[in-house]
Amino acid sequence: MNQHIEGPEISSFLDGALPGEDRLRVDAHLSSCSECRMELESLRHLKLALSSAPRKAMPADLALALERRMVHGRAWRPSFPAPTFWIPAGALAAALLAGFWIRSAVTPEELPLEPLLAAHSRYSAESLISEDNLVASNYSDLNSLDEDSSDVELE
Amino acid sequence: MDAKTFAGLIRDSGDKAYNFAYRLAGNETDARDLVQEAFAKAFEHGDAYDSTRPFDSWLLRILHNIFLDSMRRHSHSRTLSLDAPSPVENAGWADLLPEDSPPLADALLRRESVDLLQKALERLPPVYKAAVTLCDVEGLSYEEISQVMEVPVGTVRSRIHQGRLLLRTAYEELETSGGTRS
Repeated sequence: MNQHIEGPEISSFLDGALPGEDRLRVDAHLSSCSECRMELESLRHLKLALSSAPRKAMPADLALALERRMVHGRAWRPSFPAPTFWIPAGALAAALLAGFWIRSAVTPEELPLEPLLAAHSRYSAESLISEDNLVASNYSDLNSLDEDSSDVELE
Repeated sequence: MDAKTFAGLIRDSGDKAYNFAYRLAGNETDARDLVQEAFAKAFEHGDAYDSTRPFDSWLLRILHNIFLDSMRRHSHSRTLSLDAPSPVENAGWADLLPEDSPPLADALLRRESVDLLQKALERLPPVYKAAVTLCDVEGLSYEEISQVMEVPVGTVRSRIHQGRLLLRTAYEELETSGGTRS
């Protein structure tokens, strides 16, 4: 009974962190030991002073900066994009696919070149036109001479 | 957790994290840095968060680790070394008890003593400062402090008590010297 409370035990008693049996023992000792009571009161005042000190609130600008950085900035990496991303992305992909299909459907390789080349060879061989006059306006008149090349556009 | 949840966590836990950071760092600039880095790490390693446990404790643990790392990097800090022997470990009750306790109690409750108390807190070794702050300022239980500091509850118990004794001694020294002694 005369032995003072072991160091950390008195803080644990103050914090209400002692199990029931130990608490009763410390309680009993305190009732008969003024030295330990003084120590307990001193620590209690210290604890009270710390707990009642004005708290520091997070500055508003810091909270805002954090929110922006975490939610909208690079630090925030969503595991799966939201629907607002997929809708325009899907529309863009569809437009690109359609454009590619249209372009591939009318490639230069598929133009009907054979009749054009045949007509050109014939006209050159018959000297109907000179090399200097190989211009589109002349071809428009000569197209009528050959039915095979009537559907060929020279421009 | 989605973006909205993260924003909510910043609002809900921000003040607690900042207050803890301020008590540890002792100034607003370092407190801001600590909080920013803690939130950044929390979100970066969000997968490691156990949602069955309070987010606060997890965040404070990250913040505390960042603080200890920074203390190790900047050993020129005003606080004592982590390896420095505690002046109270081998002290008896008679050595630890002030000659006259009531004046200390009165002084601690005076409004002007708040700054002095913060100065005294800053002089504590980091682990004692964190333990006392988490217990007496943030009001965490020993079990919660154990999770934040990643040490057994028995160690928490010891650090809180030794931290209080060191704090009281530092406070009395500062008060005697008029708050100018560093």
